[in-house]
Amino acid sequence: MAGSHREERTPHWILHAFLVATVIYTVYPVLWVITIALSGKQSLAIADLPADPTKLDRARAVLPWPTRFAFSNFISVMTDQPFARWMLNSAIVAIGATIVGVALSCTAAYAFSRFKFPGRRFGMMSFLVSQMFPGTLTLIPLYIIIVQWLGLGSTLSGLVIVYATTSIPFSVWMLKGYFDTIPKELEEAAVMEGAGPGKIFWSIVLPLAKPAIAITALFSFMTGWNEFIQAATFMDKEDMYTAPVGLRFFVGGFQQQWGYFAAGSIIVSIPVVLLFLYLQKYLVSGLTAGSVKG
Amino acid sequence: MNERPPASRTRFGVGLLLGLVVALGGGWALLRGARAQLEDDWITRRAIVAANALGALVGQAPDDAAVRKAVTAWQETHPPGTRVRVIRGTTLEASTEPADTGEKAAPRRLAREEKPLYDQAQRLRAGVDTNREGGAPKPELEVEREGGARRVAVPLEADGKVTGMVHVLVPADASTGRRSPLQAVLLLFGAMLLYVLGAWLLPPRAALLAVASTALFCLAAAFFVGGELRALGLAERDGQRALAGTVAAEVDRTRTLTGAATLDGGAWDTDLTRKPRGLITGAGAIDREKGEAEAQEIRRRALRSLMALGALGFVLLVVVGFGGANRVGRALVSNRQAYAYIAPAIIGTTLLVFFPFFYGIALSFTDSNIYNTNLPLSELWVGLRNYGTILGDFGVVRRAADGHWVFNYLNFYWTFLFTVIWTITNVVWGVSFGLLLALVLNTKGLALRPIYRVLLILPWAMPNYITALIWKGMFHRQFGVVNQVLAIFGFEPLSWFDRPFTSFLTALATNGWLSFPFMMVVSLGALQSIPADLYEAARVDGASRWQQFRAITLPSLKPALVPAVILSVVWTFNMFNIIYLVTAGEPGGSTEILITQAYKYAFQRYQYGYAAAYATIIFAILLVYGTIQNRVTRATEAL
Amino acid sequence: MRNLLVVLAAVVGVVVPGTAAAQAKLVAWHSYRGGEKSAFEKVVAAYNARPDTKIKVDPLAVPFDAFADKISAAVPRGKGPDIFIYAQDRMGGWVEAGNTVEPIDFYVDDALKGRFIPTTVEALTYRGNLYGLPLDYKVIALIHNKKLLKTPPKTTGELVKVAQGLTSKGAGKFGLAWSYGDFYYVASLLNGFGGGVFDKSTRPTMNAPENVKALELLVKWEKAGFMPAEPSSALITSLFNEEKAPMVFSGPWFLGEVASGIDYGVAPLPTIDEAGGKPMRPWMTVEGVFVSAQSQHKDAAFEFAKYVTGAEAGKVMALEGRQSPALKAVYDDPKVQADPVLSAFRKQVEVAVPMPNVAEMTMMWSPATTALNKVNAGNSPKEAMDVAQKALQKDVDALRKKK
Repeated sequence: MAGSHREERTPHWILHAFLVATVIYTVYPVLWVITIALSGKQSLAIADLPADPTKLDRARAVLPWPTRFAFSNFISVMTDQPFARWMLNSAIVAIGATIVGVALSCTAAYAFSRFKFPGRRFGMMSFLVSQMFPGTLTLIPLYIIIVQWLGLGSTLSGLVIVYATTSIPFSVWMLKGYFDTIPKELEEAAVMEGAGPGKIFWSIVLPLAKPAIAITALFSFMTGWNEFIQAATFMDKEDMYTAPVGLRFFVGGFQQQWGYFAAGSIIVSIPVVLLFLYLQKYLVSGLTAGSVKG
Repeated sequence: MNERPPASRTRFGVGLLLGLVVALGGGWALLRGARAQLEDDWITRRAIVAANALGALVGQAPDDAAVRKAVTAWQETHPPGTRVRVIRGTTLEASTEPADTGEKAAPRRLAREEKPLYDQAQRLRAGVDTNREGGAPKPELEVEREGGARRVAVPLEADGKVTGMVHVLVPADASTGRRSPLQAVLLLFGAMLLYVLGAWLLPPRAALLAVASTALFCLAAAFFVGGELRALGLAERDGQRALAGTVAAEVDRTRTLTGAATLDGGAWDTDLTRKPRGLITGAGAIDREKGEAEAQEIRRRALRSLMALGALGFVLLVVVGFGGANRVGRALVSNRQAYAYIAPAIIGTTLLVFFPFFYGIALSFTDSNIYNTNLPLSELWVGLRNYGTILGDFGVVRRAADGHWVFNYLNFYWTFLFTVIWTITNVVWGVSFGLLLALVLNTKGLALRPIYRVLLILPWAMPNYITALIWKGMFHRQFGVVNQVLAIFGFEPLSWFDRPFTSFLTALATNGWLSFPFMMVVSLGALQSIPADLYEAARVDGASRWQQFRAITLPSLKPALVPAVILSVVWTFNMFNIIYLVTAGEPGGSTEILITQAYKYAFQRYQYGYAAAYATIIFAILLVYGTIQNRVTRATEAL
Repeated sequence: MRNLLVVLAAVVGVVVPGTAAAQAKLVAWHSYRGGEKSAFEKVVAAYNARPDTKIKVDPLAVPFDAFADKISAAVPRGKGPDIFIYAQDRMGGWVEAGNTVEPIDFYVDDALKGRFIPTTVEALTYRGNLYGLPLDYKVIALIHNKKLLKTPPKTTGELVKVAQGLTSKGAGKFGLAWSYGDFYYVASLLNGFGGGVFDKSTRPTMNAPENVKALELLVKWEKAGFMPAEPSSALITSLFNEEKAPMVFSGPWFLGEVASGIDYGVAPLPTIDEAGGKPMRPWMTVEGVFVSAQSQHKDAAFEFAKYVTGAEAGKVMALEGRQSPALKAVYDDPKVQADPVLSAFRKQVEVAVPMPNVAEMTMMWSPATTALNKVNAGNSPKEAMDVAQKALQKDVDALRKKK
């Protein structure tokens, strides 16, 4: 109607300008990492200033442009140690943690959202509370549980258990919050048509909760993909190391080889970016259709 | 309505039974263990007396041959199972082990398999040296159990220096009988019988039943406790007498062997640091006061445990009697589907999170540190002292001689204040910027959105070890990028890590960069749950963009955003990595947060109990915050 | 039924030989990389190839950052290696925690001890007991660019003159670049003056007058302006590689980062004129081969430790691994003698002080670094070290008090 022409709409170019500025701010340190990786050298590059730097010299020093393009760092990272094997381990662990974590969180969040039972609020609070105890001090008790009692040292399943459990609290909260926004009427309609709880869960609730599941999947994956100290402590065989452990070989102790570390970091980030590219479409699907009216 | 009276009779009956089983049965089992422990301790003490006597005897011997003579004489005057070995350096000086004859007769070098003996002698020497220097107290003698026998090792001293070790095997002596459970069982049956009688006779009112069962419970418990404590006292007195007897015997034997006129046998009754306990006087008599004090201590400890069990039993009685157990059982059954759904998640979290958590809390009440890890926690108990030291220290700032303020950065309250400021600024920035970006990226028809989204999550995707250090490098005074940009615009370069405020800004910049992508993703996902037609309707009604935001967007985002915010607060509060990597607490520990302090107390200062208290306080603060936040936003309720 | 028997027989046929072939192995953990790692693996292979080796060794590389935590978590619970190679700075803590490192005095006689440089043995001795055989040492020395500086200075007076001559702030050139913000490096001055952080009974001596004098000398150097501000290791490396800093105080780890094309030399640190000509005494980090207290094969583990710290292995580790072995005999080898870097560090180690291995060392770094930062920011050394002394004393006392 007539009113729709008066609607305020921020011109897209303003939004683009804002986004471009943000992207520059976001990507700038990453460009430095790429510069170090491509430089073929090992030092954490410091701005190279000539004597009595002019404003132009300073501006050039601020720009993360590699002075030379060399792929030697990347090649060394992949060939001097079994990095591909370590990345495979990381992938197995992260994907396993994601599947287990999301599966357990979905069922638990569904119960918290749809059923009313004594201890419901206490259960939700306890998930929150479990995040509050400082984790840096729990390495040795975790070691006792996973390696000594369960005998899962140097196995990928041990890490999967730890990572899945670490990501469950956030996932349950996120999913429950999302499930709460899905109107109960949909499910009641399906019950009246004779669908069982499993079918309701799979064909009605889950598709509508895709964004939340995408978020929790990404979060669980990141938890498992980037974790260092637990993986380093529980694994006693070189071919069982994960990628973060392998990366740390480059920078511990007396010698720091930043070129290799930067190249390794870039290699390690690529799967995450790919995963995000894949999950993006679920992230932005939603209730745009207004399916309630029905 | 008429169903309730018989039910409550059974319920109180069951409650009384359970309560008595726990209190009496548990108490009897507990005391049985305690009594066995006490007896063990007495045997050990007597063995220590013998060992110290032997050590004194051998120490007096002027040369090696005399040592061997003394050892043989000792063997002859002691029960047949005794074995003695004297070790000096890597040499076995003397031995009465049957295996050490012929080729393996003393003196000889220790064999490879006897390395543990050599190491033991070294440990005792190190212990004696440390105690003399006044370091953390270390054991100067070691006792091992072998059934009823004891292997005791004492250092061998000559001219004030420890040159070796005397190792003696003291055979088991007769043990006292075990106390039968007859009394406990009789009391249990008696009480139940009386209850059944009373329940049959009395009118079935809940109050009467409660009073009756409580009275019976207390009576039975009182009788039981009284009897047990008396038995303990008697056992204690017997133990003391046996000890005095051993001392007298040893004094006698040593006197005949060495011909010394007077010997202070009482000094041979020592603890593991060879400090005399003072129970036996020199003449071999029991010091009345000390004896009474020791017996009191035993009785008090037993009483404490029995009271705890009694309280537990009483609670059971009340809960079951008034129907609590019944209710729980019914709830479990009727909600079993829900419980089945949540069980795996809850079990995993409980095991991996709460077990270390409760261990940490127990540790926080002790004075555990690296020097006393081998002692049981009960001996290190200091109650609330750690908490008192942390929370009671208000000395945050004082005036120095020249008038300027000096901050005590190690103080809990400074660190707490800094952590709060750190958390609030980070979360506010992360949430606001993330939400803003999500809103912008949610604009219909905006081009290149997928590309923007991927680029904007890069801070989250890259390992934060290297990006944090790059940020740290950007703040370098001379060559850091930030100062270069400042210089381009004509400002003076700053020394970022020299002052608390600027150091804080570096960490804030780094974490701000690292944390907004996650909030952006969460907000993006949450925005998807808002049906577009709500906005349509509002627009038609003439609402402005801001009004739409406040009335539609924000409330709809609450269920998804509030958990993310709470968890973000919790994670930022405990964000160890960034502070550690970027500022490392500089300058002078002013930019430490509570978690890095706790870490330093545990792994640098080795004060485990103190660090555990610190961690528990962190937890308590977050718990209070979480509860308040939850109450305020009612996030756990469905919409 | 017959099929079942066949399957059973097949399973037994596979499993039994498999278990029979599973032999005992010695697991050895290290944190080496690159050249050192390949040299070490060569040594292990040579050891395994020997006919009189009863139990073979299986090495595992562990990232340095996780090493100490892994040892503390795994070894006391019986799940760790049989042998591990690590520096001596955590040793005191491990001994006090118990059940981690095995004392080896019993296996070691004076002849064996005498084969090593005496201070390296001292570094691995705690409360009179020896806990590991010294493998190699690391000390800092004076590394100089031979093109810019032909002869390195021998005294601090010369050093200041030479450095000032080669400094040009505008061009970003500094005469001497070293991590003087890192207490580990500055300890070389403190020890040179006769000071230190702990005395023989592990009582803190942070505010000893010798320490204060050493810091005052450092402040004098800073004011003279020949050292860069906020020296991070990355900055020092780039300054040296761009030939903007002719002199650097650093250790063998630095040499791996020197750009090819720079002709560098290693010389002993100068003697301190202000301390009456006494030499600068850097801290020595000694890597020891430790036997785990929970190992099932302690004798065999010690045999390996003896081999890897012996002459044959030492030559490989020195020439290929670029380590400085602690065994004296290695330096009699002509190839080692001809190596200028190895000989230079050998000379430097004569005046080096073993870094204290007591458990209390971990609580020393924090107050020491704070005090050093305060001094570098212009505060009085005496005040800064007094504060550090009080803080350290408080932490040490907290561990010693009885309930």
